Amino acid sequence: MPAAVIMAFMYAPAAAVLGETSRLLYFHVPLAWVSSMAFVVSGVAAIVFLTDGGRRAPRAQDTFHNSAVLGTFTALLATATGSVWAKLMWGSYWNWDPRQTSIVILLLIYSAYFSLRSALAGRPARGRLSAVYLVIAMTVMPFFVFVVPRVFGSLHPDPVINPDMKIHLEPEMKLTLLVSVVAFSLLYFHMLLLLNRFSKIRATVEDLRDE
Amino acid sequence: MRRPSAAGRYALLEAVRANIIKDFRIEFRRRFAVNVALSFAAITTLAVSLTAGGARLGAQTHALLFWIIIFFSAMNGLSHVFTREEEEGTALFLRITSPAEAVFTAKLVFNIAVIAVIVAAVAPLYVFFLDVEIASPGAFALVACAGSLAIASSTTVLGAIVAKAGGRGSLFTIISFPVVLPPLWVAVKASRSAIAGGAVSGDAVFLLAFSGALVAVSYMLFGHIWIEE
Repeated sequence: MPAAVIMAFMYAPAAAVLGETSRLLYFHVPLAWVSSMAFVVSGVAAIVFLTDGGRRAPRAQDTFHNSAVLGTFTALLATATGSVWAKLMWGSYWNWDPRQTSIVILLLIYSAYFSLRSALAGRPARGRLSAVYLVIAMTVMPFFVFVVPRVFGSLHPDPVINPDMKIHLEPEMKLTLLVSVVAFSLLYFHMLLLLNRFSKIRATVEDLRDE
Repeated sequence: MRRPSAAGRYALLEAVRANIIKDFRIEFRRRFAVNVALSFAAITTLAVSLTAGGARLGAQTHALLFWIIIFFSAMNGLSHVFTREEEEGTALFLRITSPAEAVFTAKLVFNIAVIAVIVAAVAPLYVFFLDVEIASPGAFALVACAGSLAIASSTTVLGAIVAKAGGRGSLFTIISFPVVLPPLWVAVKASRSAIAGGAVSGDAVFLLAFSGALVAVSYMLFGHIWIEE
């Protein structure tokens, strides 16, 4: 992560059109990537939880919930960094650009998930129903993340994954972006493992208290 | 995975048919879901017309208002089919007597019928009261059908979840909105095109694909919602 930060400010050159504001790319894009990845991890862990019944993956419920927590956090940060960049580039913090709308929808899904979980507090079906909702939301995700921005015109620069399947960046910027994406991804997995460990400890303490 | 036998498939179809008849019969007697949804739709349409005050609205505004009315009318009516079972205590009986797949299929068919009634009522009311000139009525009807199918497909299983959570107030709307937003968005765009006389085929395919994907996933997941611990 320190390497990513140093490379973002010292190694990568400023982009031709975007100027120094392009350095936000190395934080905004990885955060958006991690928020999407966290969502997929939540969905996959939810599928494992539903199909496994806690036999081989007893902590799957903790994984999908903690991943949703981290996904919400990174989505909020991605929205904040994106808004700052939008103000600098397009003159306003919010424009309902399809990609901005996609991240808001992701945040809506997370908030709906937490609302559902709160409504199910104390019920034995809480984990199961929350997992089902995440799987349904994951099914919807490809429709709005990948299809809708390509259906509607966007203010965003060329998508990184574009029709000719090439990343249109200078080599130094490409390397910095890659390092940043890897760093944020590793940070996400590290925090997920920490949260899972914390959930396990809390469950053990509650079991001991009940005895 | 073992394929069900012909006898098993027949039994499933019979269970689906029996549940559909039951739900329609109960709804025909009480008319609660349809009444509430239609009343809400009519009130909203009239309120929009009244506040528009005869102003000439653009195609985008008409598309937006039309689908907002459809969405919130659906939110008033589509969770009822499951919450009724939990509130009246018939859910356990249904779990014992019918396979989960049959229950889901029957409820889905019912919800599709309810939203079809809502759209069939709202569309002419809206066109009449707001004096909308639709350049491609056939395309508009296609989008209305495809969009409402997408809404029913995605909210049926969510209604089952909400019923297990006690069916409280606006929880159904809260959890449905993010799931329904992509087809809603495309439906608004397609309706605008239909009103203005543009092409809607790509959008209609998107809506049907969305419906298909959600029905398939919901069918596979419903058993996890329906079981009682």
